[in-house]
Amino acid sequence: MFRYLVRRFLQMILVFIATTFIVYALMYATGGDPIQALAGERPVSPTQRAQLVKEYGLDQPFWKRYLDYLNDLLHGDFGQTLTGRSINDIIAESLPTTAKLAVIAILTTILVGVTAGIIAAIRRGGIFDNSTLILTLIIIGVPTVVLAPVAQLVFTIKLPWFPTTAGEGNLYALLLPGIVLGALSVATAMRLTRTSFSENQRSDYVRTARSKGLPTRRVVGVHILRNSLIPIVTFLGIELGALMAGAIVTEGVFNINGVGFQLARALRTEDTPLVVGIVSVLVIIFLVASLVVDLLYAVLDPRIRYE
Amino acid sequence: MTNLQVGGDQPAGQHLLEVRDLFVEFHTRDGVAKVINGVSYHLDAGETLAVLGESGSGKSVTAQAIMGILDMPPAKIPKGQIFYNGDDLLKMAENRRRDIRGKDISMIFQDALSALNPVFSVGWQISETLRTRTEMSKDAAMKRAIELMDLVKIPGAKTRVKDYPHQFSGGMRQRVMIAMSLAMDPKVLIADEPTTALDVTVQAQIMDLLADLRRDLNMGMILITHDLGVVADVADRIAVMYAGRIIEHADVHSIYKQPAHPYTRGLLDSIPRLDHKGTELATIKGLPPNLMRLPTGCKYHPRCPYVQKPICVDEEPRSLNLGNGRTSACHFAKEMLDGNLG
Repeated sequence: MFRYLVRRFLQMILVFIATTFIVYALMYATGGDPIQALAGERPVSPTQRAQLVKEYGLDQPFWKRYLDYLNDLLHGDFGQTLTGRSINDIIAESLPTTAKLAVIAILTTILVGVTAGIIAAIRRGGIFDNSTLILTLIIIGVPTVVLAPVAQLVFTIKLPWFPTTAGEGNLYALLLPGIVLGALSVATAMRLTRTSFSENQRSDYVRTARSKGLPTRRVVGVHILRNSLIPIVTFLGIELGALMAGAIVTEGVFNINGVGFQLARALRTEDTPLVVGIVSVLVIIFLVASLVVDLLYAVLDPRIRYE
Repeated sequence: MTNLQVGGDQPAGQHLLEVRDLFVEFHTRDGVAKVINGVSYHLDAGETLAVLGESGSGKSVTAQAIMGILDMPPAKIPKGQIFYNGDDLLKMAENRRRDIRGKDISMIFQDALSALNPVFSVGWQISETLRTRTEMSKDAAMKRAIELMDLVKIPGAKTRVKDYPHQFSGGMRQRVMIAMSLAMDPKVLIADEPTTALDVTVQAQIMDLLADLRRDLNMGMILITHDLGVVADVADRIAVMYAGRIIEHADVHSIYKQPAHPYTRGLLDSIPRLDHKGTELATIKGLPPNLMRLPTGCKYHPRCPYVQKPICVDEEPRSLNLGNGRTSACHFAKEMLDGNLG
């Protein structure tokens, strides 16, 4: 177990370095003019420019700049944005909002998706099963770019149940965007749960459990559920990581000051340090999420042992 | 001794368990498969009945009908009765029936690896019924689980009770399943091919264990198998099934001495024997019948070496009472018994 953790940790460091390098290189390769982006519409005099280039180290070779950046990063310093704000502050400010949003989304997925999947599996071939099949296909087919504005229009303007924008994000205001964000994974979670559950329903151990005279709710709720959860937990864990990163559209539509919102802005203003900083944080979240999933896997399924 | 071809008008309750004229069919998209076609057998306390037959003969389905764990649909029981202590299980309300299931009548299955739940420890699974169906506390149930594991001779039960099924060998796993089935002190134990998935030396140990437990706990045991060699030592009586019917029923000694049905003789002849060394092993020609389209007349006639036209093809033989509880569903049962056939 210890050796496994060490190995995983080394892998994570490699992935982390590789990802930041790629993002850094890509931002470098876009070849914009960060000085002009910094100045906005105002003209920049050659002396000012030369001074700024020196200050930000833009005259250094690429590999030197990357190594400097990485060095700061490993010391927990994400550096500054081009506008001089501390990136650490921006992340500390926006990450909790995004986390809340992602948790609402994942809870939606569990409550609606997993529950519906179980019901569909138990009543396989019934009306519920068939109608949810069609419904999930439709939902899977509608991208967030469409779903988010439509939900906003219907539930905040036509029916004023929720505030139109969530801003700093009190929980109630985040509810609608959270549900919109979770809608996509609801469909996937439902299909996955249904498949996993039906497969387990046919297992020999279910017949054994029934032959022990256990009530159906115990056979379903303990024996089948526990086995079906294994792939579902995997999915949910990875999905939580993806939701934190994938909230760009939803956060944009609902004007939520989250990580995705900041990332979109950083891309627009070509703020290389901020883009790379945010992506680094997302990479870390994703890596930790997948590690937690893998460890949970061993808890849920005793047949899996890590050496 | 009771005549096996009893009609529905006979009083119930003379036996611990009695299956009477049971029919089971499976309704599938391709049609109706008639899996059980009028099976009757009985079991008394302290005896072992071996139900013998090849794959698809309906021996497991009959057992599952007794347990009430058939999936209905697709399975359907159009006719028949199953008496336990005189009460018809098929007419019982589900909650009363569940009360009997696993407690009075319990069952062990063929492949213990897939029949045990992979994600729970064996102690958890053995004690589950005690925890959920009796007032027993968690600790007491776990202690009882260790006792049961000792009873089925699992070495180091105390240290292994928290282990998971995949950490046991095949034979030990089967013992775990047996321990689990004994948790509620059943009166009837149905063992569905308990040794098929095991290698030969382990098979013998498990059969010995089952025989000992049956005697010590005074249970009635139904032993489902396709292995004639297995039953000889442990069974009191044998019921041979073919195409969803009992085609011969007798005590072990009589059946080995002189089978009264060509199919039973075919089975006996196909056991490898030391004194037949060098000669080719006898086999039963052909394949078991398609349950969607059963043959006319005697279901065995297409494979029977003694088939006599037209009677075997046209007329389904009744179960003939040959005395001493012995029956055979062959038109020529008497001739078979006297050795005048073949």
